Amino acid sequence: MAMAWQLRLKDGAVVGLPRALLFYELYPFWRGLLEGLGLRVAVSTATSPKLIEAGARHAMDEACLPVKSFYGHVMVLRDRVDAVFLPRLVSLSPGTYTCPKMLGLPDMVRQNLRSLPPVIVADFDARLWRRSLEEGGESVACRLGRSRGQAREAVSRGLEALRSFRGSLEAGQSFEEAASGAAPGWKTPLEGWKTPLEGWKTPLEGWKAPLAGGDPAPTRPGPRRLRVGLVGHAYNLFDPGVNLGLGRKLVALGCDLVTSEQLSEEEVQTESAALPKEIFWSSGRRILAAVTRFRRRELVDGFIHVVSFGCGPDSMVGEIAERETRRSSNLPYMALTIDEHTAEGGLLTRLEAFTDMLARRRARPETPEGSVAAEVTA
Amino acid sequence: MRVTFPHMGNLWIIAKTLLEDLGLEVIVPPLPNRRSLDVGVRHAPEFACFPLKLNIGDFVGALDQGAEAIVMAGGIGPCRFGHYAQVEAQVLHDLGYDVEMVILEPPRGHLDGLLAKIRRLSGGKPLTRVWRAIRFGWEKLVALDEFDRALTRARPVERLTGSAARAHRAAAARLADADGVWATRRVGREGVREILCAAGLEESGRPGEPSWGKPFPRLRVGLVGELFMVAEPFANQEIERRLGEMGVEVLRPLYLSDWVRTHLIPRVFQPGRRRRASEVKRAARPYLGHFVGGEGLDSVGETILFDRQGCDGVIHVAPFTCMPEIVAASLLPEAGRDLGLPVLSLFLDEHTAEAGLTTRLEAFVDLLGRRRAVGGAREKW
Ligand code: SF4
Ligand code: SF4
Repeated sequence: MAMAWQLRLKDGAVVGLPRALLFYELYPFWRGLLEGLGLRVAVSTATSPKLIEAGARHAMDEACLPVKSFYGHVMVLRDRVDAVFLPRLVSLSPGTYTCPKMLGLPDMVRQNLRSLPPVIVADFDARLWRRSLEEGGESVACRLGRSRGQAREAVSRGLEALRSFRGSLEAGQSFEEAASGAAPGWKTPLEGWKTPLEGWKTPLEGWKAPLAGGDPAPTRPGPRRLRVGLVGHAYNLFDPGVNLGLGRKLVALGCDLVTSEQLSEEEVQTESAALPKEIFWSSGRRILAAVTRFRRRELVDGFIHVVSFGCGPDSMVGEIAERETRRSSNLPYMALTIDEHTAEGGLLTRLEAFTDMLARRRARPETPEGSVAAEVTA
Repeated sequence: MRVTFPHMGNLWIIAKTLLEDLGLEVIVPPLPNRRSLDVGVRHAPEFACFPLKLNIGDFVGALDQGAEAIVMAGGIGPCRFGHYAQVEAQVLHDLGYDVEMVILEPPRGHLDGLLAKIRRLSGGKPLTRVWRAIRFGWEKLVALDEFDRALTRARPVERLTGSAARAHRAAAARLADADGVWATRRVGREGVREILCAAGLEESGRPGEPSWGKPFPRLRVGLVGELFMVAEPFANQEIERRLGEMGVEVLRPLYLSDWVRTHLIPRVFQPGRRRRASEVKRAARPYLGHFVGGEGLDSVGETILFDRQGCDGVIHVAPFTCMPEIVAASLLPEAGRDLGLPVLSLFLDEHTAEAGLTTRLEAFVDLLGRRRAVGGAREKW
């Protein structure tokens, strides 16, 4: 297979973005970049059980749920767009990696799924170039035969959108709000779609967590709602199809949520640099930083770590975070393991038990309850 | 200071020799066994990968025998191994062990930084001394890997099951006692000859095929996968022995000494190695265009090279949930289909039942035998 490929896409051609994995971190950038290159962007429909099932049929059994869901999203796109965007996200900041599976993902998708439209691939690797989005974006442009000038403009448009998106997330907005604020056109349906785009509006009410404008008051004094620190990969926190509506369920149970995505990059760096050895997965860095920070500043009543079954980074980072939490505080820490067999009923039971416990603890603040580790794999 | 380290196949030979030569008291953990695995499984994170669980079992065994420090490798990712030491330190600490973890972080994965750490560990012995210790340990490792290689050739043709393994054990014991580089080399040469002789083979292993026993030409299977699983017989449930006893010759590209050559010794000193590495990469390229950590890329590339060498099939072993090997295992069926090469991926962990594994191996070997009967040998030698 020739690697030095060129892909000719006319202006106005439709490029499909699978709504999975790092889409939840980079969507505004992709959109800004691709539209800046004169293309139109179609995002796959919301994750549904059917979509996951379809993906799981083609992915390996051993793969994690987000990867299976990614397969499903590519399948939704495959006969509806002119090209699928399949970047290889090796590393987004110096000294970190995403995850081995993401390193191999473009190859896996191309080999395991048949009759794909042309794919746009490019390596995004901050270990080599330090500025992975810029360099990677320009190589996408170059492979699509666009001029350097147009490339640079598209990249800066993407970065601009990304900055505003991150800002909104850090201010406590939901993914939907942040994304549509940063990259308008998010909800415009596209001609050429055979299925209606239902599932576009999947708001996560109650995600307006109180970190806006600096840290909120510590949790101890006064009566108020329970506050849960929800940590995990962005695609696990923000995709209600993957986490079975976890956010909404917690809000319904009377919790405010603070998520690991609300930390700014600088805050993550500061917390991470204080460790004897920094975590080399970017998501892991963020998760550990969030747990440490929320705990030290007493921002939350307890933690829920959303873990993909079989996830390598989660298994290590979660263990470190949980043990540290148990050692230096008595905040409950629940690892919520999710895979495609997780049942909604079981999940709700566990959440109820957990929030009940938090409420009881708050009534008797001095009782140490330790941390609760458990899994919801059916 | 009494130090220990984790087991991985023949690693203990080089580690023990090296550390002792540096004047440290070494406690070799009991060889991995059911009990150490149980201990590891009980205390390690439930979803950690299998090698980490065995590490914990090793450490607890050694600490109970009085070890005070652990020498462990680090890493810079992308795979979990780079964070093993931290998680393991926390687990042991929470179990109440007061233990120092000496983590050898390979900066850029090369020998210089490693040397410095080892030297510090030895209390500042002169570099020449350190170098001699490394040389000595290295010779032993190479010799032992040669023994293993000879064993995989001898096993399928031995008349009495177990006779080659017995010769192997005797040779390994003598090797452990060998003192000095030259003695090690001599024992190494003799050992290989004895192991082959035990199965009636001559030294080259090719001519002088024994007149008895298993049909000739034998089935040949390549063994690829994650380093720990390939190198540690307890972890892979002695897959080499099982296959050997079914009359299959197992070809293994990945011995510990090869891994050291590839990862720790700067490539400029070994042009052949570099050629090999880029050959593997090139072979894998149609299927996997980027390294994915661990041995993922090698598993794909080596499989394709095995096909070119005329192997009858490839067995791919990996720990359950191993990320790089999940990538490889997603691609190997496609490669196998394109090449007409049967590939069996085995994800193993503490729950893998022996009976199930045996059945799968037997079915695979049967399949290879039938293909051989229909299509003739794929031999190229
Ligand atoms: S980080 Fe975890 S969940 Fe994400 S792709 Fe990798 S293994 Fe899967
Ligand atoms: S290569 Fe596999 S077994 Fe080794 S650390 Fe990585 S995930 Fe674990």
